[in-house]
Amino acid sequence: MSQWLANVLERSSADAGTLSSLREASLAKLKDISWPTRRTEAWRYTSLHPVEKLSLKTNAEVSEQFDAPEVDDLNSIDIVMVNGSLQTSIADLKLPNGVSICALNELEAGAAAKLNSAKPSHHLFGLVNDVLANSGLFIEVDAGTVVEQPIRVVNYTLDGVEAHSRVFVQLGEGAKCSVIEHGTGSEQSLNTVFSEYVIGDKAELEHYRFALHGGQAIHVGGCHFKLHNESKLNSTVVGYGSELSRLDVDIIHAAEHAHAKMNAVYLLGYKEHFDLHTNIEHTMPNGTSEENARGIVGDKARATFNGRIHIHRDAQKTLAELNNRNLLLSRGGQINTKPELEIYADDVQCAHGATVAEISDEALYYMLSRGINKSKALVMLNFGFIQELVNQMPNKALANWLQPQLRARFEEMGRQ
Amino acid sequence: MSEQIEQAILRKYDAGFVSEVESDTFPAGLDEDVIRGISAMKNEPEWMLEWRLQAFRSWQKMKEPDWAHLGYDPVDYQAISYYSAPKSMKDKPKSLDEVDPELLRTYEKLGIPLHEQEMLAGVAVDAVFDSVSVVTTFREKLEEAGVIFCPISEAIEKYPDLVKKYIGSVVPRGDNFFAALNSAVFTDGSFVYIPKGVRCPMELSTYFRINELNTGQFERTLIVADEGSHVSYLEGCTAPQRDENQLHAAVVELVALDDAEIKYSTVQNWYPGDENGKGGIYNFVTKRGVCERNAKISWTQVETGSAITWKYPSCVLRGDNSVGEFYSVALTRGRQQADTGTKMIHLGKNTKSTIISKGISAGNSSNAYRGLVKMGPNSDGARNFTECDSLLIGDTCAAHTFPYIESSNPSAIVEHEATTSKVSDDQLFLCQQRGLDAEKAVSMIVNGFCKEVFKELPMEFAVEAGKLLEISLEGSVG
Amino acid sequence: MLSIKNLHVSVEDKEILKGLNLEISEGEVHAIMGPNGAGKSTLGYLLSGREGYEATSGNVVFAERDLLDLEVDERAQAGLFLAFQYPVEIPGVSNMEFMKESVNAVREARGEEAYTAAEFLKLAKEACKHVNLPLDFLKRGVNEGFSGGEKKRNEIMQLILLQPKLAILDESDSGLDIDALKVVAEGVNSQRDGKRSFIVVTHYQRLLDFIEPDFVHILADGKIVKSGGPELAKEVEASGYAWLEKGEEATA
Repeated sequence: MSQWLANVLERSSADAGTLSSLREASLAKLKDISWPTRRTEAWRYTSLHPVEKLSLKTNAEVSEQFDAPEVDDLNSIDIVMVNGSLQTSIADLKLPNGVSICALNELEAGAAAKLNSAKPSHHLFGLVNDVLANSGLFIEVDAGTVVEQPIRVVNYTLDGVEAHSRVFVQLGEGAKCSVIEHGTGSEQSLNTVFSEYVIGDKAELEHYRFALHGGQAIHVGGCHFKLHNESKLNSTVVGYGSELSRLDVDIIHAAEHAHAKMNAVYLLGYKEHFDLHTNIEHTMPNGTSEENARGIVGDKARATFNGRIHIHRDAQKTLAELNNRNLLLSRGGQINTKPELEIYADDVQCAHGATVAEISDEALYYMLSRGINKSKALVMLNFGFIQELVNQMPNKALANWLQPQLRARFEEMGRQ
Repeated sequence: MSEQIEQAILRKYDAGFVSEVESDTFPAGLDEDVIRGISAMKNEPEWMLEWRLQAFRSWQKMKEPDWAHLGYDPVDYQAISYYSAPKSMKDKPKSLDEVDPELLRTYEKLGIPLHEQEMLAGVAVDAVFDSVSVVTTFREKLEEAGVIFCPISEAIEKYPDLVKKYIGSVVPRGDNFFAALNSAVFTDGSFVYIPKGVRCPMELSTYFRINELNTGQFERTLIVADEGSHVSYLEGCTAPQRDENQLHAAVVELVALDDAEIKYSTVQNWYPGDENGKGGIYNFVTKRGVCERNAKISWTQVETGSAITWKYPSCVLRGDNSVGEFYSVALTRGRQQADTGTKMIHLGKNTKSTIISKGISAGNSSNAYRGLVKMGPNSDGARNFTECDSLLIGDTCAAHTFPYIESSNPSAIVEHEATTSKVSDDQLFLCQQRGLDAEKAVSMIVNGFCKEVFKELPMEFAVEAGKLLEISLEGSVG
Repeated sequence: MLSIKNLHVSVEDKEILKGLNLEISEGEVHAIMGPNGAGKSTLGYLLSGREGYEATSGNVVFAERDLLDLEVDERAQAGLFLAFQYPVEIPGVSNMEFMKESVNAVREARGEEAYTAAEFLKLAKEACKHVNLPLDFLKRGVNEGFSGGEKKRNEIMQLILLQPKLAILDESDSGLDIDALKVVAEGVNSQRDGKRSFIVVTHYQRLLDFIEPDFVHILADGKIVKSGGPELAKEVEASGYAWLEKGEEATA
């Protein structure tokens, strides 16, 4: 066991009110866990060394006021967390009818028991989050409620701080809502955020997870979705990468006729590292899933993508597709990708594809033939590669805000 | 109609007979004395024994790999005999006339007549029975061209410099658990050397037969194609139908020097066990080739046998402009489990690789493709194309795809595609409406699915492979 | 304006153009017709500078510059425009963004000021209407999901915006129905101002009913085998290209 993990076990207090039984269970699992090495498949390309060498404050007071990033026309309900503590007063929020939000440490036993119903127990840092997170949000959207305003959860982690928080969202039958998870930080810090979404029958969730951590900010997190009958998920993940940035996504088709679409974009420069693991579990028949992940890697950055589709024996008539495309711009960069299919049902249509490639010569020629010089054409083409997915974001205000930021980041990236 | 496909799989394994041959077999167990014993039986020089012992010592410290998508009871390495040879082979027969007729009959029954006049024209055969090579045909004709084709035990004696230079140069003796075990206890296998600029005048082929009970087979094959040479090599494997699992852990090393080309084809039909998973061969094989400048190695495999298959024929594309290819058909049925694929390691500039993998799963079997494509930092302009298709027959089987792609060069291009499909009711209906029975229809569809791979096999064997699939699928349709 | 002398062009070591001569003056419209495989598209690609199309001998002077010395983008900036037979799709790069970059690159090369976003938007909208494409085509990815006819019209829209000295239309009529053909022809005709020159490459005479050429050349087996006025196109229409082979036999 690593010193860091031993320290986590020591720090965790099982005496945590309604969260106590969750903590006990996860503590027991953590005690048995062997610390990942390069031989551990889930951490094959990501070293946990940066975590082990940290020494951070775990209880940091915040005196300043932090606001959510300004996004034109977004009109969202914003909740800000700084260093893992709620800064927004939930009581002061003007919530639409049918929406309730409760802080994690004020949960009733019944609600607390729902935690981990979508998050699988094999995520090491998910367990760490279980035993350390003191704050977070439990959001319920009642059956039939259509929430027009997106709910935005913004997470800041400041210099020298370690912070853990979580989000749980439950959509009742036929409910519709949009949730934006926005995480950022760049100075030396460690932040884990695990979110769970239980999407009821015929409910629809529009979801965004922006892991815009850079520099020395370590981020390990997860998004876990459980889809019920005829429910729909449309999720967009954007990652920048930092010294260590890792995101695990699980999409579980727990009932029939559910549809999941996920787009992921990662844009890495400097010495950044981003590791995206996605896992789609089709346990029931007639589900569909569609995943597109695209990344650009420059400088000495490293990207890892692992996309698994698992079709269980009963999941006949499933349609599942996954596509991962990458551009490597620099000699010092590295891309590791592993799409996986695990199939136990025969009457299904599954496909995956992965590429690491250059921009097509034909597209480049077309641009040059219109008088655009080569370096400019390459920037347009390379950026167009991820812009295509940004354009697919259902929330245009959010897309319009994100696009120039990605572009600026892209233009700064080294290509040596 | 799917129900018809799902009908129980009646297994028919043509090669399941046992030959009544008296053998000298080492008692079960493995220690340094056993290795000394094997080395002594083979009259090996001291350096070879030392090499084996070092391999054994590293093996003792190694852990059996558990990352493959396979489930089987642990192998008791002390319960296996590591050497078995027909008594009649002790005096090293000088010609076919001196070989025990029972041995010759065994190969005849398998469709491999060893009398040169009866053989397929243009194919030279090395026949390996348990731990020894029985006979190698057409040796004189090959010698005229300067080609060396002989059992590896003989090569160690006769061509020690060549063997010393290349053995372990591609698959080091401590490469992995099974390769280390093989390096310690390998008994026979083939050695091939094609001199500079020579195009081998005939197909070379080795036929492996496990006969003795509770014996492992650990063959080692080394093929060296010198600059500008060309060779096509084929191996076939069968074993009797027995209730016990038997271990086969082979190592194949290919060396393709500048401008050389090696085509290596395998038709693997080890006994797969019965429909309940009783018996069958555990096939743990390490196959790898190194390509120098402008060289090409092409692996083609048709895998229909074995209870467990763990096998990843690979290419290290070290030289600029070198080419690696992997064409594979893997068929599993009953309780068979296969975890097979390839590794393409691109080190040189403008290196190219193609991977075409066709997995067919039926019955309660599990069939996994596992592959690695690695583009090293200096692999400027390298290209890979991979296509992995799975076909599922029935709803109790499983098909998996685990491709690893690692790229560190901005001008390298890697493309991977995988799909999965089933034999559709529509396809079956069409065939049946045209007067074909369901079994014939499935076999036709499967053959069509595998066509891209079959066309890579040497002509003489493409037909055989097609038939093998037909036999294997017999009864998989009700 | 354009002078091609004894041009030999190879693609993958195979000679496609075998000594082509062509003189084009300001304001002229030249039609190049010929059977499939004659090298018609090769001429356009070579002039635009496409990689893989190598001039093994001969020379090409365009607007008093040695064309073969220029890069692809420099040729476009010098006023050469190629309307593609099969324009490529570039998802993720919007048509608007693409055309603005392109037009401003060409303007800057001519020493003119780049358009502001607002100025360009106005021009683009007009051009879009001119070729009868809905305005949302400006926002979509370049040629992304466009039909064959829409792609051709998008090419003409770029022609209108870029204001080249010489426009080469590579089979801009192929795959178009009569209405789409009229839109393309009208777009082209609107750009005939007495100074701008055109090379209209086509297999059929049909397009030339709408864009009347000053000269017609027949390209066969890598050479211009016959030149004449618009009446030559009518001859081809009537008798096809079969006479070419006979003609060759006669001279042999």
